[in-house]
Amino acid sequence: MAKIICITGGKGGTGKTLVAVNLATLFKNHGFNVLLVDGDVENPNTYLLMNGKLENSSEVSFFEPKIDEAKCTKCGLCAENCISHALLYIKDAIPIPILNVCSGCKLCYKICPTEAIIADSRVIGLIYSTRVNNIDLLIGELKPSEARSAVIVKVLMEKIDILLNDKHEKYDVIIFDTAPGAHCDVEELIQRADYVVPVTEPTRFGRLDLLRIIELIDLLKKEYRVIVNRSSLLGFRDQFLNELNDNNIQVLGDIPLDEDIVKSYCIGVPLMDNHNRFDTQGKGYKSFQIIYENLTKWSGIKT
Amino acid sequence: MVIIAVPSNGNGGLNEQMNPRFGRCPSFTFVTVENNEIKEVKAVPNPAADAMGGAGIQAAQIVGNNSANEVIVGSLGPNAAQSLSSLNLKIYQAPNQPISVKEVINLYLENKLQLITSANVSSHYGMGRGGGMGGGRGMGGGRGMGRQNRSQF
Repeated sequence: MAKIICITGGKGGTGKTLVAVNLATLFKNHGFNVLLVDGDVENPNTYLLMNGKLENSSEVSFFEPKIDEAKCTKCGLCAENCISHALLYIKDAIPIPILNVCSGCKLCYKICPTEAIIADSRVIGLIYSTRVNNIDLLIGELKPSEARSAVIVKVLMEKIDILLNDKHEKYDVIIFDTAPGAHCDVEELIQRADYVVPVTEPTRFGRLDLLRIIELIDLLKKEYRVIVNRSSLLGFRDQFLNELNDNNIQVLGDIPLDEDIVKSYCIGVPLMDNHNRFDTQGKGYKSFQIIYENLTKWSGIKT
Repeated sequence: MVIIAVPSNGNGGLNEQMNPRFGRCPSFTFVTVENNEIKEVKAVPNPAADAMGGAGIQAAQIVGNNSANEVIVGSLGPNAAQSLSSLNLKIYQAPNQPISVKEVINLYLENKLQLITSANVSSHYGMGRGGGMGGGRGMGGGRGMGRQNRSQF
């Protein structure tokens, strides 16, 4: 059964996607079947760092109540029972749906005694599945201005469940890349993971958001090990690592500032891609190798 | 005859202070006006005051169910604005200062209130704020509020 590794981190811009893409590449290099899941549905961009394209889309629809005015008896039962108060009902008038607060539970549709509520829907996002350089990619994307990102994450998770329940499931490793923050979308992904890897940086922002995400990981009773990115930033590395050590926070490794990493990021080719494009003796390259070794030791994922 | 809903403090009534929050005001005072004179005053508690969410919609429901045609507001969130507009209610902007229900109705009768058509604060703006006037920071926001009207106060 595939092991799920969740790359997260609380703070934005710490390098979650960079780590997710390079770890996926490393597992692939070592002969594993890898699925990379982009769960940052408001800004899915793993495919960009892999020079991939958004392909094979399927729509994610969201329920919208629509009132059949001919059938509606204006009884108000729907509005009375709507927990989100998404139906505005004035006595003896047809209820008015206030769609941006509708949670999509369909209760109104189910309880209307005269079947006057039509289950309409709108597309709020897309799921893409593609394959780049022998890594399968599953990407969730929320449409701009839509609020229900959790719905997209849920659909992604349903797809993962189907995969995991399939006897012929082919993956050895599934890597999740989460959104920044410690909100329900991130929680949903951590909840499914076997191993959680928060990526942070040696700044006060980094530390605060790391502690916040660790609080969430602890709540979900998951194992975690931290990666410190940009660790050589202004010479704060040792102090930061010591602080983590003092707080009993285990570290998988640290990634120093490195020109090759910047270059790989700019051209959209993972640093660890084995096409001899980058210096395999470089600081960044070596740090990813150490992180990979520590990760496979910790998780017991073996070739 | 026109019925005007005013978000109010306490149990409501003409002498009570107007509350700057629409969805989460403690009460609504409904003032019936005929021939530019106050004919009737009725106060109704707002059960949506402490709602988790959807307070604006529930409050609009109370306003609608009490047959109001017009509303005077301090701050108005997006869901409340959408609800009031779908009920075809006229929305007037109160001045950004402590004011009693009676005073704001007088301004209305003197034709000194500006009509607004959209929300002037974001969602959950009125949540957990104190009940006093002056909590309406950012009110008006330049969205159709007449300057000359404000300077008269």
